[in-house]
Amino acid sequence: MFNKQDERYWNINLLNKWFAITSVLFILSMVWMFIDDNDDDFKVYQKTFRKMEVETAKVKLEDAVSEVKEEQKLYLDKLKKAESNFEAKKEKIQQINEQITELKAQHYKANMDYLHKKAEIDALKYLVEKEKSHIHEVPNEKDSKNESKYDSYLIELQELKLTMETVASQQKNIEKELESMEAEVKQAEDELNEVMRDVNLVENKLSRLDRKRMSFSNRIGDIIRDFPIIDFMDPYYKVKQIVVPDVKYDVNFASVSTVDRCTSCHLGIDNPDFVDAEQPYRTHPNLDLYLTAASDHPLEQFGCTGCHAGRSRGTTFNSAVHMPNSIDSKHDWENEFGWEKMHHWLKPMLPLKYSEASCFKCHMEKPDINGGEKLQLGLTIIDKAGCNGCHQIESYPKRFNTGPDLTRINEKVSRKWAKKWIHSPQSFRFNTWMPHFFGQENNSSPEMIKRSTTEINAIVEFLFNGKNESDNSSDRKYLGNAENGEQLFNNVGCLGCHNIQEEFIELADLDYDLDKLPYEYSVSEHGYESEKTDLLELTKQQGPNLIGLGSKTSAKWVYNWIKDPQEYWTETRMPNLRLSNQEAKDITAYLLSFKNEDFEQEEFPDLDKVELENIARGWLVKAFPEERAERMLSEMDYSETIDYVADKSIRFYGCFSCHNIAGYEKTKPIGTDLTSEGTKPVDKLDFGHIHDIEHLNYSWFEQKLASPRIFDRHKIVETEDKLRMPNFYFKPEEIEAVVTAILSFNEDKVSEVKQASFYKEDHSVYAGYKILNQYNCKGCHIIDGFGGQIAELIGAPEYSPPNLNTEGEKVQPSWLFKFLKEPLLLRPNLQVRMPTFSMSDQEWNFVISAFQDLDENGLAFESDYHVNTRSDKYKAGEKLQELGVCSNCHFYGTTFPKQGAETWAPNLALSKERLRPEWIVKWLDDPQSVMPGTKMPAPYIPSKEELEMPDSRSVWGRELVSLKGDRKVMLEGLRDYNISISGKKDISKEIKAYFDKNGYEFGGEEEDEDWDDEDW
Amino acid sequence: MDTLKHFIDTISAPTISFTLATILFPFIFPPGDWFEKIHRKFGFWRIWTKPGLYVTLGAITLFFIMGYYDKNFNITLTKPDNFPIILLVYSVFIYTWMSMYKAYENDERMSRGEKPTEYNDPDDKVLVWPDLVYVEFIALIIFMVFLIVWSVLVGAPLEEPANPASTPNPSKAPWYFLGLQEMLVYFDPWLAGVVFPGLIIVGLMAIPYMSTTPDNFSGFYSFKERRLGIFLFQYGFMVLWIFLIFIGTFFRGPNWNFFGPFEYWDPHKLVPLTNVNLSEYFWVKWLGTGLPSNILLRESFGFLTVILYLVVVPILLAKYLLSGFLNRVGAVKFSFFIFFGLCMLSLPLKMYLRWMFNLKYIIAIPEYFFNI
Repeated sequence: MFNKQDERYWNINLLNKWFAITSVLFILSMVWMFIDDNDDDFKVYQKTFRKMEVETAKVKLEDAVSEVKEEQKLYLDKLKKAESNFEAKKEKIQQINEQITELKAQHYKANMDYLHKKAEIDALKYLVEKEKSHIHEVPNEKDSKNESKYDSYLIELQELKLTMETVASQQKNIEKELESMEAEVKQAEDELNEVMRDVNLVENKLSRLDRKRMSFSNRIGDIIRDFPIIDFMDPYYKVKQIVVPDVKYDVNFASVSTVDRCTSCHLGIDNPDFVDAEQPYRTHPNLDLYLTAASDHPLEQFGCTGCHAGRSRGTTFNSAVHMPNSIDSKHDWENEFGWEKMHHWLKPMLPLKYSEASCFKCHMEKPDINGGEKLQLGLTIIDKAGCNGCHQIESYPKRFNTGPDLTRINEKVSRKWAKKWIHSPQSFRFNTWMPHFFGQENNSSPEMIKRSTTEINAIVEFLFNGKNESDNSSDRKYLGNAENGEQLFNNVGCLGCHNIQEEFIELADLDYDLDKLPYEYSVSEHGYESEKTDLLELTKQQGPNLIGLGSKTSAKWVYNWIKDPQEYWTETRMPNLRLSNQEAKDITAYLLSFKNEDFEQEEFPDLDKVELENIARGWLVKAFPEERAERMLSEMDYSETIDYVADKSIRFYGCFSCHNIAGYEKTKPIGTDLTSEGTKPVDKLDFGHIHDIEHLNYSWFEQKLASPRIFDRHKIVETEDKLRMPNFYFKPEEIEAVVTAILSFNEDKVSEVKQASFYKEDHSVYAGYKILNQYNCKGCHIIDGFGGQIAELIGAPEYSPPNLNTEGEKVQPSWLFKFLKEPLLLRPNLQVRMPTFSMSDQEWNFVISAFQDLDENGLAFESDYHVNTRSDKYKAGEKLQELGVCSNCHFYGTTFPKQGAETWAPNLALSKERLRPEWIVKWLDDPQSVMPGTKMPAPYIPSKEELEMPDSRSVWGRELVSLKGDRKVMLEGLRDYNISISGKKDISKEIKAYFDKNGYEFGGEEEDEDWDDEDW
Repeated sequence: MDTLKHFIDTISAPTISFTLATILFPFIFPPGDWFEKIHRKFGFWRIWTKPGLYVTLGAITLFFIMGYYDKNFNITLTKPDNFPIILLVYSVFIYTWMSMYKAYENDERMSRGEKPTEYNDPDDKVLVWPDLVYVEFIALIIFMVFLIVWSVLVGAPLEEPANPASTPNPSKAPWYFLGLQEMLVYFDPWLAGVVFPGLIIVGLMAIPYMSTTPDNFSGFYSFKERRLGIFLFQYGFMVLWIFLIFIGTFFRGPNWNFFGPFEYWDPHKLVPLTNVNLSEYFWVKWLGTGLPSNILLRESFGFLTVILYLVVVPILLAKYLLSGFLNRVGAVKFSFFIFFGLCMLSLPLKMYLRWMFNLKYIIAIPEYFFNI
């Protein structure tokens, strides 16, 4: 009775209305959800890209079609002709086809009969066999019955088989006939297809891309496959991903393979057709090195985030954590994509300028690689500036002291000079690598200046340790002719590592947009070099810029130093140029002629006793209870206080990180460990009160390098706890390079097989490469296509140190070892000298392995090469050298070349022990390819035709003709002759005598012009 | 506007806001006649009228709008994680208002001798279908729509893979545990994390058994008949739970420091933490000696205090202040009631002890992880 409408508690009509409304809302929200779910950014990109692909494919198709237009016509005609021929035989063909149908039926029946019979026989066979095996148990008469049946069946089967086979062969014959009739058409078709291959390929692709070219059903299918829910099967628009098992992402509790979905939007990344397309479709700028299957880093094996970092699974602009390269692009992104840094992803993408940081994780052992120049620059600066002296970096440890030995500093400079230098190195040498510790923003208050000068005074007193200063009294004894000295300095090879550059410019005059830098920049008031820093530029700065030496040191010291650098400092990287006494005096005179008057006139305050005690007290109180500290202080006498303050200051500033100071050899580095600085969480970096920079690790590094003390700003810090990283006044490009290097020191994991060193058997080559960099071999020589800046200063490459391309397969390791230990005069007309480096045998072995590694020749020992002087080959070689007048330029032992000194070339008597026979052939074949720019002409080797001329014997000689124009054998003959040349090997005395008499008055740029016209 | 923001920041400090809430509370839910008088006199009762609802909701909304346009508050307010708390504030208030509104209506009717609004003839029944199920179904659909729209508009607040070496600052519990986390500031984990949550559950279960109203007096809203019960429950729920969740969500920043809603969450902010145990007060400050090495002796004063609080105070209450109540309900109900009540009260007490005396623990035996 309650069921009646009016008995209900609620008004049902109202509820129905509510139900209707909410249901509609529900459906709408569901639809919205589906739209939202399927409205991914990458789908939009993929749709656009599909259109672009269709467009490019169409263009390609047009090109392909127009390219084969003529041919296509030709082959189409041919096909038509063949078809019409085929058409003519229509009746015959029909007849044959009918026959084939009939034979097929016959064959089918015969085959069936045969197979049935065979099945029966097989069953029977089983019965017979079974009965036979049981015959001894139950003798049975039935045996024979089955057996005889089997035999008769076999005969029947044979007949059936025969019938079947006859029919089959008939069928085959007739089919062949038909085929031969069709052959012409088929061939024509094949030929046409061959011509149209490219067109067909593009057409095929287009038919899959372009809906307009699809059949109706395919078009429907192509639409439906991307419907929601159905798209779990095989959608066209989908997330594209590459799984890279060897590149790991660390999720703290586990390492997981990288899954890169970048290609979901970067659709044309490995397709060279989209070089000029807009992002995200643009082709990768370096397909030779990356992504393609033929490159060293195929996409499938390395992925994207292995190098670029970022959130590999992200499929939207923000969720992939793209990072802008500059402030400008940040603003652009904010406007265009609503960009903001994804706060919760710890490894944002490396901005493009820092991409090279990723090279290091696989190329740690040898980071000087093609495409990694910025990283290499950063690492080189880290070595040069001595960053890894104060900061431990496990993957890039300190290899040498970057500053000079200070144990005998009293012999070199005066106390006053040392104080002024420590206080402000750049005021003496504007581009020194010694950084500024003082006069920085956190120690420029009057109290801090007082403290600084006292510290400097104490340090210098400590370093001089009461020893006598050098004086200029005996200078005249060591001073030669400065003009001569300049000549020598410029020619003997000093310029390989040093330069003398007095001009500097203001940073503002350099081409930087300082306002656009994302960090605050502290500008040096002492000026900058005019050149931007790059790797080649740094090879010029291996040694200091030698300005102002006259205001710094004494002639005696300079003379002794350049005569034998190891005597003063055993670990110096400065080699010995084997200067004669007179040469050394001349160069000394030249170097001391540079003075820095301004610096000389500067004064430095004397030691302030009160401040000294204050500093000592400060340090003591930090370590001991107040009372004890006071007692200790009162017990120290004056010199002990100086030593105490000096010791504390040296430890505070880390002087021993770059300089050898007696007593500090084992002291631990003072800086933060940078081993995994690149992946250090941002919250572990102290931004202090600096809020103007981005909250990113590389922003912090940039700021730190640009202004090392800035994070102390507005902070209340005790003097002993102030920031102390010195200011190197890096230029912006140097900061960028160093930050790249810092970012490369990280904890990213890459499996062993991805390490470049995994593929090197002998890891000692890496030590060799490092030595080549450490001793600046590339300042003088071109090695692996890089270096040799000295050639530019000398003017002519032919008077410069040789290009060491193919050195590893060129010289015999044993000879090279001997040469490196004790260089001998090899290229007689070179004024520049190969210096003597004091390196251990092991180090030289590393260097030789490195050269051999460059040319993939790993043999340390090889069998002697024997020349058969009676063979035709040898004699032909003799003839060739005679015709090629090798003796015009080359020494044959002490036999001087026929031409003048400007074209002199190495002594051929050295060839046997110096050069590798295989290499000589390669060299003689084409000198330019081995050593681009060499003045060595390729010897003339007669061609086969020339040797077959009637008078060839008289012109070329019997032996040459007998070689029948085999170029290789002729070159080998020339090589054999070359090797057998004997004579004195070390001809330096003879040559020296010549130049002493005639001087080096040749060469230089002026004569270079007519050089090429010389008649060889 | 800045003055207003600064004012809100200042009064939001837990010391002030908690005290304010505690003082104002009995006037909003008056547990006794005197409070009732003030409640009427100063018009607090108007909160539970329709204009009161609109005004309060408007004030809350205004506060949030102000927060939305403040660059500091905006950050915490618009975090997807904190959205439920905003809903919580609204829903808790609306439901409380609804019950109070109905209770007042019933109280009025009953004072006139009428039956409460919920009263129905026992024979008058309604059908499950459609009267109940249909409405539920519609509500369900509306809720689904809400959930879908929410999930479409606000992405899931996912963070980076958890890293034990780098924990977020502040580390916050899920919102429903933030009250407990706030308690952890004042109590040892075994109390704030184990004992109190257990007592809350047991205490909630015990409430019906402690009711003094007749059994048939149920099925409708009323305030007058259950003043003390509602007051105690609402204080425990609104102030000691919801309010703490709200504080934990919006006012606790880096290093679990307190920040007013419009303050910048500066991770460098430092607050001196110089908390002292009761034993140290007793022995060092008052007696001027060192701490005895015997643990029990050292903490004897603390034990004494706890016993005083949990044993002597109830006896005194039973004898003097609450003797009438004891007579009404009997010893068992009384002792349970007092025990739960004192436990609940210990939270604000401990908070004040901390704020006023920097008291760390009353009993501190870290050797055995036993601290009260």
